[in-house]
Amino acid sequence: MQPRVVVTGIGTVTSIGIGCALFWDSLLSGRCGISAVQSFDTSSYNVHRGAEVRDFCGEAFVSKLSCNRIGRASQFAIAAARLALGDANLDMRMLDAERVGVTIGTTSGEPQMIERFDDAAVSGELNSIGPEFMRFYPCHVIAAHVASELNIEGVNVTIPTACAAGNYAIAHAFDVLRAGRADLMLAGGSDSFSRITYTGFARLGAIAPEVCQPFDRNRKGMVPGEGAGVLVLEPLERAIARQARIYAEVVGYGLSCDAHHMTAAHPFGAARAMEKALSESRIEPEQVSYISAHGTGTPTNDRIETSAVKRVFKDAAYRTPISSIKSMLGHSMGAASAIEAAVCALAIFHGRVPPTINLEEPDPECDLDYVPNCARELDVNVAMNNAYAFGGNNASLMLRKIEA
Amino acid sequence: MAMSVDEIRDKVKRSIASITFIDPEKFDDSTSYEVDLAIDSLSILEIVVDVEYQFQIKVPEDELSAIRTIGDTVNTVQKYLYAEVV
Amino acid sequence: MERRVVITGAGVISSLGDSPARLHTALCEGRTGLRAIELFNTTGLGCHLGGEVASFSAKTYLGEKNFRPLDRTSQLVAATAEMALDRSGWSVEMRGQHEVGLALGTMFCSVHTISQFDQRALVAGPAYASPMDFSNTVLNAAAGQTAIWHNLRGVNSTIAAGSASGLQAIIYASELIRSGRSEAILAGGADELCFESFYGFNRAELLCGSNHSPGDFPIPFDKRRNGFALGEGAALLMLEDAELAAERGASALAEISGQGSGFDPSRGTDSRKSVAAIARAVSLSLNDAHVTPDEIDCLSMSANGSVRTDRHEAAAVAAVLGARANAISVTAIKSMLGETLGASGAMQVISLMEAMRDGALPGISQLNEVEGDFPLRKAGPDTQKLDLSRGLINSVGFDGGCCSMVLTRCE
Repeated sequence: MQPRVVVTGIGTVTSIGIGCALFWDSLLSGRCGISAVQSFDTSSYNVHRGAEVRDFCGEAFVSKLSCNRIGRASQFAIAAARLALGDANLDMRMLDAERVGVTIGTTSGEPQMIERFDDAAVSGELNSIGPEFMRFYPCHVIAAHVASELNIEGVNVTIPTACAAGNYAIAHAFDVLRAGRADLMLAGGSDSFSRITYTGFARLGAIAPEVCQPFDRNRKGMVPGEGAGVLVLEPLERAIARQARIYAEVVGYGLSCDAHHMTAAHPFGAARAMEKALSESRIEPEQVSYISAHGTGTPTNDRIETSAVKRVFKDAAYRTPISSIKSMLGHSMGAASAIEAAVCALAIFHGRVPPTINLEEPDPECDLDYVPNCARELDVNVAMNNAYAFGGNNASLMLRKIEA
Repeated sequence: MAMSVDEIRDKVKRSIASITFIDPEKFDDSTSYEVDLAIDSLSILEIVVDVEYQFQIKVPEDELSAIRTIGDTVNTVQKYLYAEVV
Repeated sequence: MERRVVITGAGVISSLGDSPARLHTALCEGRTGLRAIELFNTTGLGCHLGGEVASFSAKTYLGEKNFRPLDRTSQLVAATAEMALDRSGWSVEMRGQHEVGLALGTMFCSVHTISQFDQRALVAGPAYASPMDFSNTVLNAAAGQTAIWHNLRGVNSTIAAGSASGLQAIIYASELIRSGRSEAILAGGADELCFESFYGFNRAELLCGSNHSPGDFPIPFDKRRNGFALGEGAALLMLEDAELAAERGASALAEISGQGSGFDPSRGTDSRKSVAAIARAVSLSLNDAHVTPDEIDCLSMSANGSVRTDRHEAAAVAAVLGARANAISVTAIKSMLGETLGASGAMQVISLMEAMRDGALPGISQLNEVEGDFPLRKAGPDTQKLDLSRGLINSVGFDGGCCSMVLTRCE
């Protein structure tokens, strides 16, 4: 009999708060983490805003490894993992390390390492790049650093499926637990602010000049961000046995591939991921209480996503609140869907849903209930978390309230 | 020495050919990227950026979407190539 | 009832050939794919050796098409996928009717593309950054491009676990089949040989010859070894649900009977923990396959000439196999292919499948003298004629991750 899987801990590192409680409060009050980019010089760009995590002190979370050597995404992931374990009231020393695993999603890995390499190459100083480049750059180090810092010895994978990576990592952790290959999983996503990512999206004309306004008629694009979100997932029986606080149950997921275009989404792929998620979870669209949208704020994504939701939900689409926290956090890339999954769990637990802020003028093509501007009290029984990535990687995750 | 229109056109066509692998003999000024060459928006943007790079010009963002044909591209290059000279 | 996972076809592009049969023949003849690198300049670097896929051209496999949107890594994967799909009988029509997935393991995907994109923006300014290259800077680019090229609309995922990425992706895919989420999924891995990763490994003194010891000795388990040589390539297996494969009349070449993964939190610095993690992966895979060490005919080791890791792996395997360790036949194909990173685990699977089909296990090329306490006594340079029905494959990643798989011949 396959175990049911529940969320018992949440850790978040975001531009509007580090730690679940502060983050959740900020979200509900519509706080925005977007401001002028500080981590590199944007004067030769035509856009200048991002959602960076300010005042992050890696040393507060990393003790075994060294913050002078490991990259920012690894530090974020370790911080989120520690926070999640603390939130779950767990101490690694109490657990069988071989039966604990780590799955982390990412888009860019540790971009500062390759950026440093490129800076050196361009200025003819390549020999200033030492052994640390290969040691700390490849993206698998993120999950490896979390496990190394916390002395975890089970399944260890980094899943770099770009902007949907968090959902992919959580989905895989779900499968590992259901197959009985672990007793506990730390699953989520992490990305640090990246010059390369910023340059690319700026070049595509995808970055908004001021704010992120998902679903608004005048939306001008996405805003790159950074951060990490990690969930503690474990079998329901074990959570009950140790009297853990249970946020929600993960009941299923759907993954699909557009097989269409590297950067432009296809509505069928997004719809297919939702259909698969609903079907596996044995949930009807009408039973979904809340959707956490991918909602990047680009003209195309929001329109295509809306049409995909209508395709799957039909009339029920108009009765299902759907909000985008990217309006507040910007797009934290691989971390985004992990943070959004955490938000779904929190929404279920607290009976409130976050708003889509900056929604001033409705778009006739985006006519659903996006929870405009104000958080709302809502009995959330079932939540769906959607994420879509470059390469046509689509992922929908389903969470449900655990019966008392 | 200033570039002639023909030289500009030639360089633009070579850029397009390197990105689309379509024989430049098939191009003329009226050739439309979307309709005649059936290439997607990413490829069109790649062509525009490559043309900007090859000619060392900067086309304002709000003019990019107006570049629909090879002729539009050649005209845009002419406009910005000599903008400082004027 | 648990679903069984079988392999119905394979594709590979390597420095020793672009088909499973060609690769196997070359390995059995003890030929090396390692030679002086031509893809980029290695002047001033201690190591000059690499397992390059010479004269790779995507149009050989995919026809006269526009490959500009795909970088070299994506082209290697798309070309390999073409062959794997063809050999497993998954036609264009069938892919239109069914959702075939893709799970790709890679360590870097396209670090060369990432670096070129970044350097151009640095030198010429961000306005001249290439939009098309940007789409290939994401680590799931090769998987995405390949899905587009071949209409693969099933689960599409990318797995990063260092040099264990390929085998880890195959494990990921096989679990999707076992759980009923996927019916058919291409799984394996790829990494290209490029200046950026080569420079990095050389600088970290992990490549043979890079720490200024004389000579290039990427020979697994050999006393003289002083590092690995970097290779490249792509390898993909078509994994299917055994019953569904049989229903459509496909031949099952081998079965994935068991798997296991582990992690060493010391990331290789503590020998005891490193050995324990690899031993755990081996143990878990044997248990998962419900087999004892006596039922394993041969070992395909991950060993690549690394001074410490080769030793750890041998000790770990011996610890689990017990007495069997001295009687079991051993191969280590990185002795000839070099360390192909994301492709390596999948290349090991293909090589073992061929070995089982052909009844011949490649030797460990140039293995001359092992250390005194080396526990796998049957390891040697000569190819052996053997009736093999079940093998164990190891893949040891950098930075602590490792995994193992039991592969069984299908009759």
